[in-house]
Amino acid sequence: MSLSRTMLKASKGACEIFRRRQFQPNLVILSTRTIYERDYRRPGQAPDTRWPWQKIRFDFAKGLEGISKHFGLLKDEIVGHWVGPEGRPMLEHILEQSRVLWEFRGPESLRQWVVSSDREIGGRSETYLKMGRNNSTCMLYGTLCSVPPRDGETIYSGYCTLRSKQYLASFDRKKHLDLSSFNTLHLRIRGDGRPWMINISTESYFSHQKNDIYSYFMYTRGGPYWQDVRIPFSKFFLSSRGRIQDQQHVLWLDKVNTIAFTLGDKVDGPFQLEVDFIAVCIDNAHTEEFAYEQYKRNPEV
Amino acid sequence: PRWLHCGSAFCKNKSDSEELQKIVENEPQKNDRSLVTHDDLFERTSKDSKTKASFNKVVEVFSKKDIRRRGHVEFIYAALKKMPEFGVERDIAVYNKLLDVFPKDVFVPQNFIQKMFNHYPRQQECGVQLLEQMENYGIMPNVETKVLLVQIFGKKSHPMRKYQRIMYWFPKFRNANPFPVPRELPKDPVDLAHFSLTRIANDLDATVTVYQHPLTDITETGEEISQPHIVGIQSPEQRALLAKHNPNRPVFVEGPFPLWLRKTCVHYYLLRAEPVPPEEKLEEELDPELVGPEQSLFYPQLLSLDLNRDLGDDDSFDIDEVEEGPVYAMCMTGGGDQATLAHWICRLQETNPILGRVPTFFRLEAGSGELQTAAGVQYNPGQNPQAGPEMEHITEQEAARSQGMKQ
Repeated sequence: MSLSRTMLKASKGACEIFRRRQFQPNLVILSTRTIYERDYRRPGQAPDTRWPWQKIRFDFAKGLEGISKHFGLLKDEIVGHWVGPEGRPMLEHILEQSRVLWEFRGPESLRQWVVSSDREIGGRSETYLKMGRNNSTCMLYGTLCSVPPRDGETIYSGYCTLRSKQYLASFDRKKHLDLSSFNTLHLRIRGDGRPWMINISTESYFSHQKNDIYSYFMYTRGGPYWQDVRIPFSKFFLSSRGRIQDQQHVLWLDKVNTIAFTLGDKVDGPFQLEVDFIAVCIDNAHTEEFAYEQYKRNPEV
Repeated sequence: PRWLHCGSAFCKNKSDSEELQKIVENEPQKNDRSLVTHDDLFERTSKDSKTKASFNKVVEVFSKKDIRRRGHVEFIYAALKKMPEFGVERDIAVYNKLLDVFPKDVFVPQNFIQKMFNHYPRQQECGVQLLEQMENYGIMPNVETKVLLVQIFGKKSHPMRKYQRIMYWFPKFRNANPFPVPRELPKDPVDLAHFSLTRIANDLDATVTVYQHPLTDITETGEEISQPHIVGIQSPEQRALLAKHNPNRPVFVEGPFPLWLRKTCVHYYLLRAEPVPPEEKLEEELDPELVGPEQSLFYPQLLSLDLNRDLGDDDSFDIDEVEEGPVYAMCMTGGGDQATLAHWICRLQETNPILGRVPTFFRLEAGSGELQTAAGVQYNPGQNPQAGPEMEHITEQEAARSQGMKQ
């Protein structure tokens, strides 16, 4: 027993030594660097070098509420399976021409959204989310600052995002939105003249595609009147990790995960965006399948 | 003909710009090598003024100094960093000139091995960074850039690929903005107000009226009286709505709200009313000539036939509309104090006589306000002074409203 414990300590000590030597090539097989450098690391942040069991939080109250929540969701799913696809009646699923995906009527709707800004990478922008007047809209406001953080890696800075959380079915399984019967995104917003970007992220099969985001611009007019923005899904272009890709393909609507609004127009100052609802609809006059060319991208000069 | 080059730069001692020509002759004799960066060259040249001409001069001097262009990568990086200071970051000619600093034909791969192994990677990265700065400022490269890139890096290099990507995507998104803002905004505040008010008015019939031009007067006593400009906008629909407004309910002057036009933020003020609660809503009497059994079918004035729609086609969304009060007029002023806005209301009264009977509240937030007040903020009567003599009448209304209506 004691021999194995000392061996474990020695190997753990060796692993820690290997962890600290991050910038030198790791020649020994017995290193855990590949495990904790698997996920995205924000620049300027130290990698998360905790052991796997240290990352789980063991708590009795959490266990109980988890059981009630997940089994409740499971029961809803089973009952909903008899009602129709995705828990809605079959006729409604087939015949619907428009569907409201996210609306902001009440403070609990804000819990489905996550606000992020470049504060995570060390920047100085601030972003806040609150309910608007009469609890019937949401207001995203704050200040942008495009001074890049001094961590030696980042060059550009000054952005903020409002991203919807991934829908989760029972036991934290991912639930995807099936929007294949629609072809236009309809938003009712009130901005202050700044150009925003809408990012839709879908579920993909390969891990290389996990940062794939389909984006398009949303130009706000400003002013006291509500603005209806209609963007057909064929206009969304593919980008990954912020870089637009050469091989473009159309946004597949059958497994949509999240939608996000981003602001990064390199202008320092306060911003506001009010969103009333986000819906999808069918525009029968729009017959375009994809707005960008899909042929081979290696043209001769 | 090509000969071997070493791409690394060694730094030389650089003296004043006036003596730069002398440096060209004295180069082989100077032996001391102190570490001076290329930034210094720009600093020294621009002691008097930072203009495009001085920037071009620095680039020319560097190009002429050495046929081998030693240290050109570092020089180009330093030049890219200095461009905003000289004010030339949006000038395509300057970028082409900077791209000209690269020696030609040296970095073009000659055989398949060079093509395979990222030939001259540092120079290619420098070229890509130059194009990236162009892309960052939204400048479209021209055919001279393409010719230069082909001469310097070859057809299948990274900078050429980046150029192709820029030339593909920029034209696609150039006119994507349905509300375009011109790059050169009018400098005159009255014109700027005119432009932005027509932009946010959402109505082509709306008319802009300049109620007051900016004036700075010096009176006899030597005091300066400055008049800020007041530009207002109102459409005929808004005028009709205001005429129908119930005089017992107050109207509010709210502001200032921010409006961003590219990089400038202007502020506007609104004249609006609270939404009418459903119990007090008046049914609009429909004109019997327009709708109803007495309407004329031979000369119809109102046709609302959805002949193209199927029975199941329904484009409406299953959501309640947000209740909002009507906006009666908007304005933009130089100074956001109550006196200016009161002057605006007085001038509005000329075209909307009902304003004389309706109590007006001023909801002004110090500094730039939000488009809507927060849900939790209680309306504080002490903060908002009222215009009009009916003080008690107004306080009663406030009390009624703060109990009844949700804010």
